[in-house]
Amino acid sequence: MLTKKRPLPWSVLSLLSRRAAHLARQQYDVIVVGGGHAGTEAAAAAARVGAETLLVTQKIQTIGALSCNPSLGGVGKGQLVKEVDALDGLCGRAGDWAGIHFTILNRKKGPAVWGPRAQLDRQRYREFIQSELLSTPRLTVLEGSVEELLVTEPNPEEPGHHRVTGIRLANRSQPITASSVVLTTGTFLSGALFMGQTMSPGGRFGDAPSSAGLSHTLRERLGLRTGRLRTGTPPRIVKDSVDLCQAELHLPDTHPTPFSFLNKHTRCKPEEQLPCHLTTTTPGVERVVKESLHLNCHIQQDTKGPRYCPSIESRVLRFPGRSHQVWLEPEGLTSDLLYPQGLSMTMPPDMQLRLIREIPALRRAEIHTPGYGVQYDFVCPTQLSPALQVKNTQGLFLAGQINGTTGYEEAAAQGLWAGVNAAHWALSLPPVALSRTESYIGVLIDDLVCRGVTEPYRMFTSRAEFRTSLRPDNADLRLTLKGSEEVGCVSSLRYREAVRVRDSLQDALAALHALTLSTNKWRNKLPGLQMSENKNTLVTAGELLQYNHVSFEMLASVFPESLSPYAEFSQRLKIEAVYKPYCDMQKKEIERIQREENMSLPQDLDYFSLPVSLSQEVREILDRVRPSTLGSATRLQGITPAAVVNLLRYVHATNAGLKGRTHTNQPERKEERDEERCARNASLPQ
Amino acid sequence: MFPFVCRGIMRAAIHTRRIRGTLPGRLLSSCDGVPAGLADADTIFALSSGHGRCGVAVVRVSGPASATALRCMAGLTRSSLPPPRKALLRCITDAKGKEVLDRGLVLWFPAPHSFTGEDSVEFHIHGGTAVITAVLQALGSVPGMRPAEAGEFTRRAFQAGKLGLTEVEGLGDLIHAETEAQRRQALRQMSGDLGRLYQNWSHKLKRCLAHVEAFIDFSEDELIEDGVLNQVDTSVCHLQAEMERHLKDERKGERLRSGVQVVIAGATNAGKSSLLNTLCQRPAAIVSPMAGTTRDIVETALDIGGFPVLLSDTAGLRDSPDVVEREGVRRARERVEQADLTLVVVDCAHLLTDAQQAVDVLQTHLMCVLSSQEQPETDRCLLVLNKSDLLPECERQKLDREMRRVSGLPPVCLISCHTNDGLQDFLTVLHSSVKTLCGDPLSGAPTLTQARHRAHLQQCVAALAQYKRHRDTDLALAAEGVRLALTSLGRITGRVAAEEILDIIFKDFCIGK
Repeated sequence: MLTKKRPLPWSVLSLLSRRAAHLARQQYDVIVVGGGHAGTEAAAAAARVGAETLLVTQKIQTIGALSCNPSLGGVGKGQLVKEVDALDGLCGRAGDWAGIHFTILNRKKGPAVWGPRAQLDRQRYREFIQSELLSTPRLTVLEGSVEELLVTEPNPEEPGHHRVTGIRLANRSQPITASSVVLTTGTFLSGALFMGQTMSPGGRFGDAPSSAGLSHTLRERLGLRTGRLRTGTPPRIVKDSVDLCQAELHLPDTHPTPFSFLNKHTRCKPEEQLPCHLTTTTPGVERVVKESLHLNCHIQQDTKGPRYCPSIESRVLRFPGRSHQVWLEPEGLTSDLLYPQGLSMTMPPDMQLRLIREIPALRRAEIHTPGYGVQYDFVCPTQLSPALQVKNTQGLFLAGQINGTTGYEEAAAQGLWAGVNAAHWALSLPPVALSRTESYIGVLIDDLVCRGVTEPYRMFTSRAEFRTSLRPDNADLRLTLKGSEEVGCVSSLRYREAVRVRDSLQDALAALHALTLSTNKWRNKLPGLQMSENKNTLVTAGELLQYNHVSFEMLASVFPESLSPYAEFSQRLKIEAVYKPYCDMQKKEIERIQREENMSLPQDLDYFSLPVSLSQEVREILDRVRPSTLGSATRLQGITPAAVVNLLRYVHATNAGLKGRTHTNQPERKEERDEERCARNASLPQ
Repeated sequence: MFPFVCRGIMRAAIHTRRIRGTLPGRLLSSCDGVPAGLADADTIFALSSGHGRCGVAVVRVSGPASATALRCMAGLTRSSLPPPRKALLRCITDAKGKEVLDRGLVLWFPAPHSFTGEDSVEFHIHGGTAVITAVLQALGSVPGMRPAEAGEFTRRAFQAGKLGLTEVEGLGDLIHAETEAQRRQALRQMSGDLGRLYQNWSHKLKRCLAHVEAFIDFSEDELIEDGVLNQVDTSVCHLQAEMERHLKDERKGERLRSGVQVVIAGATNAGKSSLLNTLCQRPAAIVSPMAGTTRDIVETALDIGGFPVLLSDTAGLRDSPDVVEREGVRRARERVEQADLTLVVVDCAHLLTDAQQAVDVLQTHLMCVLSSQEQPETDRCLLVLNKSDLLPECERQKLDREMRRVSGLPPVCLISCHTNDGLQDFLTVLHSSVKTLCGDPLSGAPTLTQARHRAHLQQCVAALAQYKRHRDTDLALAAEGVRLALTSLGRITGRVAAEEILDIIFKDFCIGK
C-alpha cells in the first residue's frame, strides 16, 4: 500500500537491477520486450499470475519514463486507469504516488463519464514503477537490445503456423528461451525521428534506435501485415522564462481523489499540489506554421496521424482562423520545465522558438528541448486474438503502440492483458478475454482486433456502448473479483478489499430498500425535500436516493443506526441508486452480446470453401479478420445479418463452437499451478 | 372502365381492428430483447411472395389454427386434409365457404415438418392485388389468426429450433428485428418522401449525439463552443415535436391493414341504407320509405379498388322521443366521431334551386352531422346528394353544374341509388379519398412494416424525453437517451456505428488533445 511501501532510493535501484541482469538465466516462462507503460504492466501482470518473467529493456533507467505528456487519466482514459488498477496493475498506484495536480474532469456531467486525471512528477512516476518492478517476485529485469525473435514449428495441437521460443540479444551469444514473448516496442519498431528537414532513426529522442532484426522477423518470417503511423511531442519550455500571469490559472481539486481502489489518499498533500495554466494561440502562430511548411518534412508526409492529438501544424491547417488552446503543465514538483500541451510540432528548432513566442505568455520563453515527430511501424491488430496473441504465432503477444494505439493508459491496459495471457499460455492455462460489455479494456481490445486501426487509436467514453454500466466508480466490482477468481492476477489483499466493498454495498442497498416511510414523514424528517408524489405513498430510502438533491448523508441522518455503518460508501451508493434503472435496461442487451461472444469460431476455418451461403465479399472479410467469436463477426463492417445467421448455422451444425481450449479443466490446473508457483518461489535467488 | 372491385366480406375488418390496438405494445416488448412475447397460440399469416402485381402469389399461414383455415377456405371437410406436402388444386373461398375468391393450389405442412416447425399452410393464388387482399381478409376472419410481423416466420423457425439456432434466440438483431434485406426492402417500400424523412431524422440525431459526445469527451480540455448543447436542445425539441406530429396524423399504414372506417350519416330518409346496399350489391340493410328505419349500426366490409373499407350505415340524425332510436342516434354520432371518412347523404330534393342557398344549407347540415367530431374535418368527408332521379333533368343538370362550381364544400356527388345514375363517378371519388387515406397503393401491402416503424418511432420519441429529463443533471444519461433514440430509428434506417459519431465529432470540432 502506498503509505507503507516507499520506492527504494535510486542508488539501491541501479544496484539491484545490475544484480538482476547478472543473474539472468537462459530460460523463462515469459519474456517482455520493452519497459514503457505496456511493458511494465505486462511484466508485472505475468509475474503476478505466476510466470517466471524477464523484462528486457534498452535502458533500465528509462523504465517507467513518461515520454510525452506528464499526466495520467482523463475522460475515457481515467476509466482505463481505474480498470488496470482493479486488476492490480501498476499505473493507478503510480499515479497516486507521483500525482501533483488531481482533478475529476466532467464532474458536472454524470458519474459515468467522470474522468479522473492527474498531472505527474516524472521523476516520482519512474521511481515508483522501477521500485515496484524490481521488488516483484518472479520478475527479472535485464538491460539489452533484442536482435532477433526465435521462431520454430508450431505445436500441432494448437492453431497457428509458427511458435515463438525466445529471443536473441545483441550482446549475448546465448539465446534466452521462453514459452511466450510479449512485444511492447512502442515507437521503436523501425522508428524515425523528424525535426525540420532532418530525419534520424530512433523511437525517442536521446535513446538508441532498436534493431532492424525485430521488424524483419515480424514482417518476413511471420508474414505480419504492418502499417506506419506518426505522432509527435511538443518542445519543453523553461519555466522561469514564462510569464504565467498572462495565462489563465487552473487549480486542482481541493481534495485529491486517488486513482487506486486501495488508496485513501494521494502522496501529494492537497496544499502541495501545483496549478496548471491555460493560454491560446494567436494569428502569429498560424503565420509561422505556414512560413515553415516547406522546412517541415514530417507534416508533408501522408502517414496517418491521429485526429485528436494533432500537431499545432495540422490543427491550424485544418481549422484556420481560430485560436487553439495551449495548456502549460508542470513537469514535476522540482522540475524547471513546463509542458505545453497542444503545441506538438516538428518544424526546425529556430522556427519552434519563433512560434511559441507568438503566444503572449511565452513571449520571452526559452526552449529546453525542441519538439519532434516520430514515425513508426505498427502491426495491424486484426491479426491478434482477443488475448492479444498473434493469431498465426503461438506464444507471441503484442501490446501498446505496436498495435496502433496511442496514450499511456491504452498501452497499460493492453500490456496488462497481454502479460496475463502470455503467462496463461506459458503455464498451459486457457486464454482469458474481457468483454466489451464489462470493461473499457474489453472495448479497446475488441475494437482493435475486430475493426483494426486507420489512425492511432485512443479511448473515448463514446466508444463504450455500455458506458452507463462501465463507470469509473465500479471498476473494482466489475473486474477485481474476476481478476482474482478467473484470471489470477490480483493479490489476496486487493481481493479481500473488493469482497468487503461488494458485500458492504449489497448490505447497504438492501438496508436502503428496507427503510420505508410515507412521503409525508420523509418531508417532516427532511425539510426542504421536493417530492411530487402523493402524501401517503410509501417511498423507500433507496428510491429517495435517486432524487437529485438527496444525498446518502441526509438519509443517514434520519436512520443513523442502519445507515451510518456505510458512510464511507456514500458517494458510491448515491451513484448506484441513480444508475440502477438504466443499468437494468442495458442488462438484456449485455446478455445478448455475451451469448454471441460465447460462440467461438475456429481460427483455422477455411472461409472460402465453407459450404454455406456467403457472398465472396463476406468470405474475404471473414478470411482477412478471422473473428474469434460470432459476436465479433457481427460487428465487422460489411458483414450482413444474413451472413451471420448462415455462419451460425454452420458453426452450430459442426459443433465447432465447442472446440478449442475450454474452461472446464481449470480447477485441477489451478492446483497444479499453485504447486508450481510454490516450487518456483522456493528456487528464487534470495 | 374504372377497375374497382366491390365485394362484401363479412365483418373481416372488425377482427383485424381489435388486433390493431395491441400491436404497438407487443412490438415494444419484442424490441426489448425478450423473445417476442407473442403467445405461440396465435396463428399468423402473411403474403410471402413479393408485393405488387405478379402471376402467382404465396400466402403463408403458420400456427395451430392453420388446419382450420385450410378447411374453411379450401372447402375441405374435417376428415380430408390433403396429404402432407402435396399440392392440391382447390377453389379458395371466404372463411364461411360461401364466396369463391380464387382458384389455386393449397399445401398442407403438418408440424413439425414445416419451415416454422408448426402446422403450416400455403395458398398459391393469382397475384392480383384484389385477390391477395381478399384472401388476407378472409384469413383474418378465422378465429385465432392475425397478420404476421415482419420476420416473424423466420423468428418462429429459430425458436422451434428448425434452423438449429435455439440457443441463440438472443441474437436480437437477427431474430427480433429485420434482417438487412428486410430493412432495405422496408425502406424501399416506404414512399420516397417518407424514406427521406426518416433518413433526415437519423442524420439530425447523429449530429445531436455527436455534439453531446464531443461535449462529454472533449469539452474539459478543448474549445467546444458553449452553444453546442443549446443547439442540441433545440434540435431534440424540434425532432421530438416533428416525430409526434408524424405519429399523430400518419395512420395510413394501419388503416390499410385494418380497413378504412367509412361511415354513412345524414338525416332520416336521405337514402343512407340504400347507399350501403348499392355499394355492397346486396340487401344488407333494410330499406323503407319510413323515416327512422335504421336504428342500429349496420356494418359491412368492402373492397374498394383494392383497399379494405369498413362501411357503417347509421341511424338518421333527428331528435326522437323513441328510446331505441335515441340510442341509435347516439351510436351514429359516436361512429361519425371515429370515422376516417364520413359520407354525408342528403336528399337533393331538399336543396333549393338557388345555388348560394344550397351551399349554405349544405354547410349547416355538414356542421350538424359532423358536430360530434372534435374538429370537424371537411376534408374527411364526402357529400352525397341522393335521389337525383326525382329531380327533373334540367334541374339535375343545373344542380350538378352549380355544385361543381362552388368552393368551401367537400367533394359533392350527385347520385341515385335507385337508378345507379352517377354511381360510377361517386365510386371514383370514394376510391380516390380512400386511396389518400391509405397512401400509395402501389407500395402494396407493407402496412405491417409501417406498423413496426410506428413502434420504433414511438420508442424514439420516448428516448428523446430521457434526454430532456437528464439534460441538466447527468449528461451521460441524457446522451444515453439520444443514443437509444438513434438505435430505435436505426431499426428503420439502419444501424449507426460508434465510428460514424466520431467522424462527425472530428469533422465539426478541432480536437487537439
